[in-house]
Amino acid sequence: MPEHLTLEVVDQDGAIREALDEVQSSSRMSFLKQAVVAGGTIAAGGVLLGGMPKLALSAPGPAQDAAILKFALTLEYLEAAFYTDAVSKGALRGETLQFARVVGAHERAHVAFLKKALGSKAQPSPTFDFKGTTEDMAKFQATAIVLEDTGVAAYNGQGPNLTKPTLAAAGSIVSVEARHAAWIRDIVGKNPAPVAFDPAKTKAQILAAVNATGFIKA
Amino acid sequence: MSELLTLDEVDRDGAIRETMAAIADDSRAGFLKRSMLATGGIVGGGALLAAIASPAQAATANDVSILNFALTLEYLEAEFYTEAVAMGALSGEVLDFARIVAQHERAHVSFLKKALGTAAVPKPFFNFRGTTENQAKFKATAQVLEDTGVMAYAGQAPLIDANAILAAALSVHSIEARHAAWIRHINNAPPAPVAFDKPKTKQQILTAVAGTQFITGTPAMTASGGSPAFTG
Repeated sequence: MPEHLTLEVVDQDGAIREALDEVQSSSRMSFLKQAVVAGGTIAAGGVLLGGMPKLALSAPGPAQDAAILKFALTLEYLEAAFYTDAVSKGALRGETLQFARVVGAHERAHVAFLKKALGSKAQPSPTFDFKGTTEDMAKFQATAIVLEDTGVAAYNGQGPNLTKPTLAAAGSIVSVEARHAAWIRDIVGKNPAPVAFDPAKTKAQILAAVNATGFIKA
Repeated sequence: MSELLTLDEVDRDGAIRETMAAIADDSRAGFLKRSMLATGGIVGGGALLAAIASPAQAATANDVSILNFALTLEYLEAEFYTEAVAMGALSGEVLDFARIVAQHERAHVSFLKKALGTAAVPKPFFNFRGTTENQAKFKATAQVLEDTGVMAYAGQAPLIDANAILAAALSVHSIEARHAAWIRHINNAPPAPVAFDKPKTKQQILTAVAGTQFITGTPAMTASGGSPAFTG
């Protein structure tokens, strides 16, 4: 299956697999919730700076760029499929439906961009099972918040690992993900910008969170 | 004022003062632009050592310049929201937005000042021309400021040398985007109007900021050597 290939290719040192093993016993929602709010206590810049350098893998270069873009593509495939599925299921209405349509178009544009950037290195889309979250408006809203906040943390975590030209491209996507996150948060009455500094997450943390949703079919 | 002390401490050889004197009668646009350019070459990385986690990492003059550019934008935003809340013209979600965002922008200022140490530029004087005293004007202005902040950070991030500084800038960048989407939502404007946000160069941003005429001058200088400069 494509996602196994992806994981094998990306996970050269076994860090992702290790992280996945660690979270296997956690429940899906509680893990995801923990993963998303874990960075929320970061309030002061000093703390932030103290934590950041650990995110860097090694010197940026074309091979590392490609691995990171493939990682981003997996996330964008997931988001695009989630919104497209939710719109087609017909359970959304009002501004939530409008949000899903607009954001779905953005995520599909991100997928197209990343596939083009990767060329023949681009992996095919996995297949997904959204476990009912695209068929119920409240579940959709809650899941969209988690997905968008996770997208922001993923891009912020990878930024320093990219070469400068690729960083510039990623930078034009991350702020759009942050806009999505704030938008859906405001729709449901949650604080659109809950902290002064957005947390960053490592690839292993993000993949573990995504895997724990069970949305990517094995 | 602490920023005056900072200036005196930093400006050992009078380079900043000289620059400021040279541009005292310039337009606001000219001032902002030149103060940015001036700061880049003045101070070495020593001041950043305390703030940046890795002691082996000295900030480059380039990074100091970028951080000071960001600091000027954050000073402006922090002052704008703090003043708007104090003026009492805001209500409802707009007031919530202003309070929370003011807090964030002040946190960004604190962070940047700490990171820059004595290399931090002083806070300019502002005149928000009524936009903090009227809810409709405030909402429109906040949207422009936040969208501008997003474009500014997007433009500067790929130019940053040090990874720790880049990581911090990215964590601020996406917060500015959240603010922008939030105020756009309040304003019934599309919170995420395009799939790819466009970056802007420092020059483009400075021109836009100058166009607002919100920055009215530099802090008055009480020179340690007794030589008066000018008052803002």
